[in-house]
Amino acid sequence: MNPLLALRYHWNVNVLGPVVLRLQRWQAERRPARWDTRYLAPPLRIAPRTKELVARHWLAGRYADGYRKVAWVTSGAPVELLKALDFYVLYPENHAAICGTARLAVDIASEAEGAGYSRDLCSYARTDIGAVLSGKTPVGRLPKPDVLFACTNICQTVLFWYRALAEYFGAPLVLIDTPFVYTEEAAEHAVRYVRRQLEEAVPVLERIAGKRLDERKLRQVGLLSKRASELWLEILQRCRHRPAPISVFDQFIQMAPIVEMRGDPETVDFYAALLKEVDARIAAGVGAVKNERKRVLWDNLPIWYRLRYLAEFLARHGVAVVVSTYTNAWGELAPLIDPDDLWESMARTYIYPILNRGTGHKLRTMRQMVEEYQLDGAILHSDRSCKPYSIGQMDQRDRLIREVGVPALLLEADHNDFRAFAEEQVATRLAAFVEMLG
Amino acid sequence: MEPASPIPSRTQTLRAWKEQGGGIAAVLPIHYPRALLRAFGLLPVEVWGPPRVDPAPGAAHLQPYVCSIVGNALSFLLSGGLDGTDVIIVPHACDSLQGLGSLLLDFVRPRQPVFPLYLPRGRRESDLQFLADECRALYEKLAAITGRAPSEVELMKSIRREEEADGLLAELHRRRRVLPLSDLAFYRLVRAREYLPAEEFAARARAVLDGPPADPRPGVPLLLSGIVPEPMALLDAVAEMGGAVVADDLACSGRRLYPPGTSTDPFRRMAERILNGPPDPTRGSPIAERLRHLVGMARESGARGVVFYDVKFCEPELFDLPLLRRGLQEAGLPSVHIEVDLNDPLSGQTLTRIEAFLEMVAGQPAEEARR
Ligand code: SF4
Ligand code: SF4
Repeated sequence: MNPLLALRYHWNVNVLGPVVLRLQRWQAERRPARWDTRYLAPPLRIAPRTKELVARHWLAGRYADGYRKVAWVTSGAPVELLKALDFYVLYPENHAAICGTARLAVDIASEAEGAGYSRDLCSYARTDIGAVLSGKTPVGRLPKPDVLFACTNICQTVLFWYRALAEYFGAPLVLIDTPFVYTEEAAEHAVRYVRRQLEEAVPVLERIAGKRLDERKLRQVGLLSKRASELWLEILQRCRHRPAPISVFDQFIQMAPIVEMRGDPETVDFYAALLKEVDARIAAGVGAVKNERKRVLWDNLPIWYRLRYLAEFLARHGVAVVVSTYTNAWGELAPLIDPDDLWESMARTYIYPILNRGTGHKLRTMRQMVEEYQLDGAILHSDRSCKPYSIGQMDQRDRLIREVGVPALLLEADHNDFRAFAEEQVATRLAAFVEMLG
Repeated sequence: MEPASPIPSRTQTLRAWKEQGGGIAAVLPIHYPRALLRAFGLLPVEVWGPPRVDPAPGAAHLQPYVCSIVGNALSFLLSGGLDGTDVIIVPHACDSLQGLGSLLLDFVRPRQPVFPLYLPRGRRESDLQFLADECRALYEKLAAITGRAPSEVELMKSIRREEEADGLLAELHRRRRVLPLSDLAFYRLVRAREYLPAEEFAARARAVLDGPPADPRPGVPLLLSGIVPEPMALLDAVAEMGGAVVADDLACSGRRLYPPGTSTDPFRRMAERILNGPPDPTRGSPIAERLRHLVGMARESGARGVVFYDVKFCEPELFDLPLLRRGLQEAGLPSVHIEVDLNDPLSGQTLTRIEAFLEMVAGQPAEEARR
């Protein structure tokens, strides 16, 4: 290890950085709310801390080159292995979402499009490849990967995308292929296959990390991961309460740590604090939407560049979006993680995310949400960029209407590319949907 | 330049097979163990779209940003196109085919049983073992619906029959430039592998291969990559414009030149064959490997340019294109990218682009292309 790089890392990440970030947090805590508080509750008190936590994560990445081994990872990957080997873990999808929220995604994706990547490809992938090709990023700088770690449990797109990254960086690609679960149960040979790949990945990762995997540390990371996921699930389930203390728009913002810092002790502390705040809201009768009249669910990825617009539009009409299949995905598998039987439970946990399961399973999940959260309707974001999440929605919508008896709206857009967002059309469709809710 | 006896159509083949008491398996793209289906007396008849169907029935279930291979397959099924089949096999190749398989199982629920088949994305021992297990699981499902249980010997016999047909298919590809077939006739023949029984395909292939060779076809030699050459009139149009397809990396043909297997376990052997096929993004082959393969094919065949002929919204193809095209350019091989919807007729714009490409390639010194 280069001592100068180590010094630079410690100075920026552990000494100077935290001071600057604390100051920014202090300022943020005093800034007036930016979202319309006539219809929405004031922002969560924890929000500046979320920003600080996330910023610190990206700060560590900025100075990781030459000091820490870096893994670029897909959002559903078994990150516990990497954490236990002390990799700095970077999630290109999260980075792309940050770009989307900051409305920089299209500019950055254009760099990829200029290099020949079609606009029909997932906008996360385009944003990421654009960032790689141009160096543009709102987080300062992205460290180069020593390894690419892709798990197909969210889509096949990530494999196509990471194969391109492997060429750009000349980095090895470790693949955990998780056979799609078409029926209720994964076949035993599929679970065996995932487990075997996890075991086979260890020597490869150890070689890159330059250290042996400590099973005790892995167990510890597994425990922390489970605990954070449980807390996240508890927070989401608090939204069964009327009025819902937070909305999915809050959840979209607060989910960053569960995705990119799963397995860290700070993440557990963070979600414990968030749960407390949510409970305090419930105790005080505070709802995310001030005049909650109707409750609906959100299916698919957020529309990152229009969170505020959607939150305010719906809140104005007393519509609270209280639950989402998307944010739920990082909590629902928590019970499957068993730190005492980690390898087998990891294989099972990572084969069962909602995106690796059939269209019928998603409908069942939504039906259950309608019941448990007492919903009046559903918004299904038909995300041009995300085929695995979107295929099936037309039938799901029809059945929600026909069999469950709730209005359901298919909203055409894209999670990161605002060129696929037709403002007027969206407004008209949302208005009609609100009317149907009554 | 057509073969002596016309190749029967899919419908004729299907009818004849049924009259003999056989069953039909409708199979979606791309990779699957033909031998396994045949061992159960099921003739695999592949469904690549098909082109030019009324897309409306599928559009009630699928968003417009899903490729037309998947959209048309669903429309075709819903409008009765697969009524004569006994089972539907949906191999996993991409998110769109995955979605289709799931939709069929959960919502569309056709009369026929639907069996998905997951294809692993690597070539590790664990991938081989998994695919062998997946074939074994498919065996059990087929046994349950047909009431048959082919023995290991029968399975091996079926595998050898397919291996022989695939060997002849590969030979057709190798000698394509001196076969007495136009590009259109060549593709009619090699694409008959999508539905003819292996033995019938083999007989037809042998008849062509055993005939006298022709003079090498004139024209600017091209490598055709992509998914499927539809509409097939494209091939005559390319010839008329002065091009000749001399090498193939199409998902429906060149990427399925499976080598013979070695294992004595029938399931491992089926898996081995699929995993050892030419590089393919849907099997997770690294882009560098694909590039080496394309450059190697171009060198061997004398191709001086590459046409990527893709179906719109095809992620597996679109992700590889920029790096492949850059690498080909560096190897002195220009390329052009064309995207089509299976329901569109051959457009003037497509033809103009191919013509311009041919002119550009023809104007380049051949040495540069071989650099
Ligand atoms: S947005 Fe969809 S397609 Fe893109 S990486 Fe995520 S799951 Fe895959
Ligand atoms: S054309 Fe491409 S996206 Fe469509 S089914 Fe084939 S591989 Fe999948």
